[in-house]
Amino acid sequence: MLLFGLDLDYVLVIVLFCVGLYMLVSKSNLLKKLLGLNVMETAVFAFIVTSGMIEGGDPPILVAGTAAPYASPIPQAMVLTGIVVAVSVTAVALALIVQIHAHFGTIEVDELKELP
Amino acid sequence: MDVVDARPILAPFVSFLCAGLVFAFGRSIFWRRFFTFLAAFIKMGLVFSMLPGTLRGVVYVYEFVEFTPGIGIGFRADAYGMFFALVSSTLWLFTTIYAIGYMQGDRDRVRFFGFFALCVSTTVGVAFAENLLTFFLFYETLTICTYPLVVHAETREALRAGRIYLTYTLIGGGFALIGAVMVSATAGTLTLAQPGILTDDVGVVTLAIIFVCLTIGFGVKAGIMPLHGWLPIAMVAPTPVSALLHAVAVVKVGAFGVTRVIYNVFGAELLGELGFTVPLGLLAGFTIVASSTIALTQDHLKRRLAYSTISQLSYILLGAALLTPLAATAAIVHVANQAFAKITMFFVVGAIARTTGKKYVSEIDGIAARMPISMAAFTIAALSFVGVPLTAGFITKWYLALGALQADAWWFVLVLIVSALLNAGYFFPIVHRAYFRPAKEPWPPFEEGRRFETAKTLLFPIVICAAYVLLLGVTAEVPGMPFSIAQVAVESFFAGGGVAP
Amino acid sequence: MNGGWAEALPWTIVVPMVGAVLTPVVAARRPRWAGAWAWAVLLAASLLASGLVYRLATDGPFAYDVGGWAQPYGIELRFDHFSAWVLPLLLLFVVIVPFSWRYLDHVMPDERRPAFYALLLLNAGGMIGFCVTGDFFNLFVFTEVVSLSSYALVAVGGRGLAAFAALKYLFIGAVSSLLMLFATAQLFALTGSLNMADVAGRLAEVGGGPAVMVAFAAYAVSFMVKTAMFPVHVWLPDAHAIAPSPVSAVLSGMVVKIGIVGMLRVYQVFFAADVLELGAFNQTLVWLGAISIVMGAFFAIFQDDIKLMLAYSTISNIGYIVLGLGLASPYAVIGASVHVFNHALIKATLFLAAGAIIHQTGLRTLSDLRGIARRMPQTSAAMAVGAVSIVGLPPTAGFVCKWYIALGAFESGQAPFGFALVFGALFIFVYYVRMLNAFYFQEPVHDVVLEAEEAPWSMRAPVVVLATLCLVLGVLGGIPLAFVEPAVLDLLPFWGN
Repeated sequence: MLLFGLDLDYVLVIVLFCVGLYMLVSKSNLLKKLLGLNVMETAVFAFIVTSGMIEGGDPPILVAGTAAPYASPIPQAMVLTGIVVAVSVTAVALALIVQIHAHFGTIEVDELKELP
Repeated sequence: MDVVDARPILAPFVSFLCAGLVFAFGRSIFWRRFFTFLAAFIKMGLVFSMLPGTLRGVVYVYEFVEFTPGIGIGFRADAYGMFFALVSSTLWLFTTIYAIGYMQGDRDRVRFFGFFALCVSTTVGVAFAENLLTFFLFYETLTICTYPLVVHAETREALRAGRIYLTYTLIGGGFALIGAVMVSATAGTLTLAQPGILTDDVGVVTLAIIFVCLTIGFGVKAGIMPLHGWLPIAMVAPTPVSALLHAVAVVKVGAFGVTRVIYNVFGAELLGELGFTVPLGLLAGFTIVASSTIALTQDHLKRRLAYSTISQLSYILLGAALLTPLAATAAIVHVANQAFAKITMFFVVGAIARTTGKKYVSEIDGIAARMPISMAAFTIAALSFVGVPLTAGFITKWYLALGALQADAWWFVLVLIVSALLNAGYFFPIVHRAYFRPAKEPWPPFEEGRRFETAKTLLFPIVICAAYVLLLGVTAEVPGMPFSIAQVAVESFFAGGGVAP
Repeated sequence: MNGGWAEALPWTIVVPMVGAVLTPVVAARRPRWAGAWAWAVLLAASLLASGLVYRLATDGPFAYDVGGWAQPYGIELRFDHFSAWVLPLLLLFVVIVPFSWRYLDHVMPDERRPAFYALLLLNAGGMIGFCVTGDFFNLFVFTEVVSLSSYALVAVGGRGLAAFAALKYLFIGAVSSLLMLFATAQLFALTGSLNMADVAGRLAEVGGGPAVMVAFAAYAVSFMVKTAMFPVHVWLPDAHAIAPSPVSAVLSGMVVKIGIVGMLRVYQVFFAADVLELGAFNQTLVWLGAISIVMGAFFAIFQDDIKLMLAYSTISNIGYIVLGLGLASPYAVIGASVHVFNHALIKATLFLAAGAIIHQTGLRTLSDLRGIARRMPQTSAAMAVGAVSIVGLPPTAGFVCKWYIALGAFESGQAPFGFALVFGALFIFVYYVRMLNAFYFQEPVHDVVLEAEEAPWSMRAPVVVLATLCLVLGVLGGIPLAFVEPAVLDLLPFWGN
């Protein structure tokens, strides 16, 4: 579907990315920043899946009942790997946030910056 | 005629090695002196062994490593390089003897003698550099190696002097680097073996920028005004350091560099066409007179000598800038003449300071009675600077005057006369006070058990260097003396042509 | 395509990775064994890498298909001249790890050591993978491996502050990784392939256009962030200063270079396809590089903490490399490529020497460490050599690269940047003179300094070895330069403005 000459799917991806970026940059709470990062990641995954979309494509499995054109498995592989990577990043970030909280007692960037 | 020989690379590297050994084993006085003298003798031996060949026109070459065609590290002992290496290795020997005596009981002597050795190694490296890259490499290394010597005393003054010294020399080094890189970019080569590698294909503006950058870069060490500011301030260093570095190594490296730029990078012919050396010559002339005038006002002995050095160095620069064979010969010979005479003076001033504690002109009335030999040496050196016949300085002035006439630069002869008068103006009062004024207070007597007025290690170099000043003056034209080497060098500079009428 | 030394290619990645996973197992009984295990693994990997480089030097670039899957369906590992960076990288690790054995005593409790060394091995393995892979998505995965282990390494030694610096690093790094993922997806959408060589061919068919430009720009920004170029450098100073010194050496020396190697890889693909006008981009790189040089040096001067100063100095040196790349002339690019290695060497020397001093005295600032040179002469000498090297004065390693880049600047007609280059570095020498004066020529103010002893051998030896290499490579600097030359010359016909 076209919106302003651009495919609606891609426009939504861009909007989602910007929402995530806004969260990452403007929120003071570290967890919220992390959530923003996750939203950005989701946006990119959506982009990958969308770009791999083929109208009327079949799953890429050679069994009776499927025929060309097949949806390419590669974007799906990319997204899966990307999700794994995103989960790892989130895990590390959470561990760091826990450590920050244990040490400083807060996870608000505004308060952290005030500390000597 | 080029001959492949390892000596041009061995000369600096052997003393590098010995410097390392001084650092490693220098805690013991014996080993420290052993390695220092070992380095001095080996280096002198290597350099002098190449002298007969040089006089015949042989050039010793050794290519060390090539990064890419046109850029590499190579060594080349041509006549001019030999000249410089001879002067510095000879003077190093004497300065080492002097330093051992002077630095008795001083602190951190391992560091001192180690870097001392390193400095002279790099100086010889500069002398034997085959191309601008090698030249620049050793040039900057010299800066680094001289720094610990300048700040040796570790007082606030010394550290401040060291900072100023580094600022001047490193910024100068930056300009030299840019100039060298530009030469590489335009000429495709950096070799110093030709009478000029640049051509006027690239346009006057580019050539002008290169010339300015290189001149600033090397001129900082050569003390041309207005880049001379570091020199008087660096006098805070111990006298052996001032003597060697600021009479011989650092400042001569700068003058050597400028001369190489004029004759081996640009070439006499090209510069004659472009006329770049005219402003350089004027600046040098100005430095000669202005610096001598400032020297008149200095009461501190070493500072007076510092300004005199600045003035004398510009003789070399001016001689080189005149672009005639006679002037170039004089400029090269003056490297030796000025070195020996100035170092004599520094030695004497240092001896006076060590023996009597006096550092100012106003304090040394009547000292000739206490230190007759030293003052006699000083007088000889002073006569040389004024240009009295039978001393080395006369030869220089004579040929400079001839060279100036050859280049139709009458005004320079005037500068020579004026500066001779000024030299007399600031040296003769010292001599006069020393001999003819009664001492303000009795001098400390000779130390117990000493036959001579001061330590032999201080006196011996003084006498030898003063004697050499006389020798250079009397036997200048004898083959084997510096003058003949200078002539060989100048021949190679003007091989491609030149401005000689 | 497979066979002979090419078989070793996947092993070079596998060995550190498997080593990382096995570290907790090996160190189960004695946590301190983790250090020795990590060293052994890295030694083995460097042996493999030297075999690979030997094969490269004699026969030229070669490739390996993972799992036997033919191109362009499988993942290809490729070893060309830029991949040869793997060998010096591993050798630097081999020198840095022994340093960490004693250093970590005061940084973390023994139980954490296996985690530290596992992360270090992962980092090494990731970087190796990054340099030898021929597949874009693989590149992304390895970038993430490197980044994640880096974030963790920054935080593993400390508590709150380190975690905060690591988190800042993480956020910025994760965004840049996302950009890389996006760029990869975009390339795939445009060309239908992820194999680098294949993409190059297909891009030529696709031609230029805004979509291709977007992919290139996304890669460029992503790598700019990873390499801490102005203006996205803000994560670097805190992260590198707070991390334990061996980690700082690894981060400053090697991890930030990932961005440069990545940029070169992207260049190889996009230039071979010859579909973009890159003049403006190169010029931007030149400007940003020049600004990085000056800005990094400028901020470094005002730091009292040694490690913070070294971190800013890294930014400055990355500026050199980027400037060299942007100038796009043979000498400049060769100089920049070799500076990748030289800077790693010099920065490792400096960080390890600083680390040794910090370890022995517990003090980190210039004003506190006055007079330390008398008690720790060898370490201070190494620091002095490193200082001279990083400014780029002869006769040390930093000089020849600077010469080459300056030559490239004048050759390509951008003389003012040559000036910026030469004088930008001299700027930073102001700090080093202060530092050396403080160490050598001033009286100590703390008792700790008066009683300090030289670092133990396992810490001193790496420092001395690295400092010696700085000097040796100053004289023998031509060897790496000559080595990289063919690869750069291959790249350059497509480069120009």
